[in-house]
Amino acid sequence: MRFFWRRDLHALAGAYALNALDGAERDRFERHLRGCRACESEVRGFAATAAALAMAAAAEPPPGLKQRVLAAAAVTRQSPPAVAGATGAAHRRRPRTSASRRAWLPRLALSAAAAGLVAAAVLGGVTVWTQHRLTTAQAENQAIAAVLAAPDAQIASARTSAGGIATVVASHSAGSIVFTSAGLQALPPSKVYELWFLGKTARPAGLLPPARAGRTAPVLAAGLAVGDKVGVTVEPAGGSSSPTTTPIVVLTLSA
Amino acid sequence: MGAFRAASGAAERSEPDLDSLLTHVARGDAGAFEAVYDQMARPVYGLIRKVLRDPAQSEEVTQEVLLEVWRTASRFDPARGSAATWVLTIAHRRAIDRVRSETAAAERELRSAAPPPTAVDEVAERVEASLEAEQVRRCLDGLTELQRESITLAYYSGYSYPQVAALLHVALGTVKTRIRGGLIRLRDCLGVSL
Repeated sequence: MRFFWRRDLHALAGAYALNALDGAERDRFERHLRGCRACESEVRGFAATAAALAMAAAAEPPPGLKQRVLAAAAVTRQSPPAVAGATGAAHRRRPRTSASRRAWLPRLALSAAAAGLVAAAVLGGVTVWTQHRLTTAQAENQAIAAVLAAPDAQIASARTSAGGIATVVASHSAGSIVFTSAGLQALPPSKVYELWFLGKTARPAGLLPPARAGRTAPVLAAGLAVGDKVGVTVEPAGGSSSPTTTPIVVLTLSA
Repeated sequence: MGAFRAASGAAERSEPDLDSLLTHVARGDAGAFEAVYDQMARPVYGLIRKVLRDPAQSEEVTQEVLLEVWRTASRFDPARGSAATWVLTIAHRRAIDRVRSETAAAERELRSAAPPPTAVDEVAERVEASLEAEQVRRCLDGLTELQRESITLAYYSGYSYPQVAALLHVALGTVKTRIRGGLIRLRDCLGVSL
């Protein structure tokens, strides 16, 4: 029986290399892989073969992507190399779980981005608010700072179909997001950009304030649920209770 | 991807070696990262676009992947395969993660008329007329129809192998063995060596 079971696992090497296994089966195969040199070498060969398929699909990326990628790299801290002894088996064969691949990613990116958001909060709108709103503003700023400083804070950023860039910092522990944008197309007074939590249904998360010098001041929205994405649509002034247009951007968060 | 690379690109020969570029990227060399971008952005974007179809999402995931390359360059281990394979493995995984993310359905609902999944023949037809693409196409042609369909549906269209089995109306075990058998034949045809 055991022989057949192992043979059966061997046959998964191809599907594994093409990322065609789902959760449990992938984990089972990876456990097997750690003790099977023949499989490991076969998977490597298949990965190189798949890479050839990818090369054959090469296509010109949109203009401007290079600049955005290089700019993002310039403000992103790199992860240190794995040091022998510290990671042991993990170094020999990286297990492919979303958690291990992802957990540290957003956080490293965050410090610089968070600094930018705080600067935007201070320069973009808060300081020009009138005195009687200052207390509210300070409270809101503290709430924004709390999201940015949350240990599980993550950042996602994307170009929108209305031009410009949308950025969200999200914290599941705070159940909140901070959203900001730059370079969105200006809207006529009869329209407004509305923010949404996109889960099984779309839940309103607030309206974007009018942009100043092309930037919208950070919007804080509570009510983030695990699995939500964050989207923006164009709605009639005053906003809608559910989206009436296709989102100009949808930002994906990890769980 | 040793022999495949050696056999396939006059163009690649004049470019700096990607493996050593990544070593420099790991040390924070922005110039080396730009060179990596120049070599890899097209295959990374093309692959992701093939899987996701949606241009905006594809651009977003491409950016994530290239940033992951920047961040994790120090984890690249040349003993385990070429730099191009490493980068493209990250790209495919990220694209698949996006396809299978739990809220993908909710998002699809919100987006207007999502395009239909890639037709198998279309993939083979649309590959670019580069030397690599020619060679890949020729080798894909050398597979049985079931092998070719299983591999392209899984890799280019991002289906899990049970989904591929359902689409092709064949048993799970059949898809498993066709994918593996097809990859072995492709690997040998492309002259991939480790």
